[in-house]
Amino acid sequence: MNSLWGIARQSAWNRRSTLVWVVVSLALATALLWTLERLRHDIRSSFAQSVSGVDLIVGARNSPVQLMLFSVFHIGSNAQSLSMDSVRAVAQHRSVSWVVPLSLGDSHRGYPVLGTTPEYFKHFAYGDKQPLVLAQGAVFAGTLDGLYEAVIGAEVARNMGYGLGQGITLGHGLHEHDHESKEPDEHADKPFKVVGILAPTGTPVDRTVHVSLQALQAVHLGWVAGAPMPVGQIPADQARKFDLEPQQVTAALVGLKTRAAVFNVQRYVNQYEGEALMGVMPGVALGELWTVLGLGENALLAVSALVALVSVLSLMAVVLAGLNERRRELAVLRAVGAGPRHVLGLLAWEGLWVTGVGVLLGGLLAQVGMALLAPWVQNVLGIRLQMAAPLLTQWALAAAVLLAGLLASLGPAWRAYRMSLADGLSPRV
Amino acid sequence: MIDIEPLRYAWTPDSKDTLALGHLHVDAGQTVFLHGPSGCGKSTLLGLLAGVLTPQQGRVSLLGQDWAALRPGQRDALRANHVGVVFQQFNLLPYLSVLDNVTLPCRFSALRRERCMISGGPEISAQRWLQRMALPAELWTRRADALSVGQQQRVAAARALMGQPELILADEPTSALDAALRQDFMQLLLQAARDARSTLVCVSHDEQQAARFDLQWSLPELLKAGGKP
Repeated sequence: MNSLWGIARQSAWNRRSTLVWVVVSLALATALLWTLERLRHDIRSSFAQSVSGVDLIVGARNSPVQLMLFSVFHIGSNAQSLSMDSVRAVAQHRSVSWVVPLSLGDSHRGYPVLGTTPEYFKHFAYGDKQPLVLAQGAVFAGTLDGLYEAVIGAEVARNMGYGLGQGITLGHGLHEHDHESKEPDEHADKPFKVVGILAPTGTPVDRTVHVSLQALQAVHLGWVAGAPMPVGQIPADQARKFDLEPQQVTAALVGLKTRAAVFNVQRYVNQYEGEALMGVMPGVALGELWTVLGLGENALLAVSALVALVSVLSLMAVVLAGLNERRRELAVLRAVGAGPRHVLGLLAWEGLWVTGVGVLLGGLLAQVGMALLAPWVQNVLGIRLQMAAPLLTQWALAAAVLLAGLLASLGPAWRAYRMSLADGLSPRV
Repeated sequence: MIDIEPLRYAWTPDSKDTLALGHLHVDAGQTVFLHGPSGCGKSTLLGLLAGVLTPQQGRVSLLGQDWAALRPGQRDALRANHVGVVFQQFNLLPYLSVLDNVTLPCRFSALRRERCMISGGPEISAQRWLQRMALPAELWTRRADALSVGQQQRVAAARALMGQPELILADEPTSALDAALRQDFMQLLLQAARDARSTLVCVSHDEQQAARFDLQWSLPELLKAGGKP
């Protein structure tokens, strides 16, 4: 059999100009499947890792998924806000341990700005209840003296090259992805100073600029309905003289004394009379998100499975089309003593190799592609592509393509086998 | 060496068109010139002799072994070990070198490889037969498809002779050649087959060559004889 492989190799090499396209199409199909699977996995783990230790997210009554996406992942928008009175009311529930209000809507060079309280850094956790840790500096004080102080995520610091003491200004609204923008910021009149840099978490926190709720009030003094009033702005120092306590926030994170009370508190929030509120359990909202994502995922997976099927069929078509061409070659092999099983082996071997090389190249292509695109994906989609070893499911997909390729080549191989039997010694050519 | 007992072969099971032959015998080392008009079944007879076709009635034996009594795998092995074949054309794998084409039988038959060992291994043996077929040594390492048709036929003959198989079947080996080359080729093939002590059955239209062979079989006459009960 060893000698047969040599012949198979040289025969395939002789037809490399056709086979290379089969390899390319198989490689692309594999790369597609491989990447989608990674993306699917990383989207899920990225979401699942992003919030921990928060029992409820409270916001204006809306879609639970939307509330969670906006408040935790800073994706999308939330038109409605809730009043601080409601937040205080929830905080007074006997089962509630802590409440951290969140206010979103501004950005710095494309990075979302989160207005919150210093308690946020104490209570918010990610992954498996890992707390936020400062790599440098300290949390903003939350006092009037430290009004214009900011704590930035690891990625903001790295990408923008910021260190402690760096002055930054805020832009009004959520500008999309313009880290390089040179346009003057709408809130340039009230510059902030970076006082703390968080250690990397692999969550949206890395991409966030944190300031105090009061600071967000200050930069919006003299603004009405999202636009500056024409009469002139209040200087940064003057702002401290105004009442900077916010009336409205976007959402509030709630921690409970015991998890068992979560349904009680949720019911309390949902039936709160002062305002239409809802309490969302992050796990439940994630579950809903999976259901929504699942539809898209399945569609994508189905399309890429189709692509793989088409590539495998093209392999089959190429091998079949080549058979008539190879009829003479097979007859020669039969004449020098090769049996039908050799013919079968020859074609199956070729199919396996062509698919194998395709799958291998596809996997490499996907890995390299993901490595190159990871920063872009992180910036645009906020999803951290993990440069980890391939997942079990990725291997399974690769194996499935390989198996399909082998099966697809067995069809033509069987035909060649029959043909070589029927042709006897002299092929009809 | 070759024994044919009265046989009947139909191309399809319900075909009335059959090949019917009487007793035929060829001794080891004899050369047979098989001629007849196109379509009279010469290639079919070669197929029967090589065991790729089996008759519905009667039997064909090689070296005392009835082809029909063997399982397909055993037939392949018997053929690989004891039969060399030369076609009209397209004998070679275009992507292999001349030498690799000639050593092909040794890849599928351990027996023929062993026989080549006596003369120094497949490589040396191949060179010897290529020399016998008067193919210039500078062509030996070329790709097979770089050769002319006449040169390719010589390579095919050298390959059929590898390991000195008991039977060499040649199906119109000179019909693709110029008249001038035919005589040379046939002479070389006959001489080489005698040196290898192989039986040679050669199908040809070129009746000028017939006299060089030990036996002359006209297939239409054989069929006439075989058709009679």
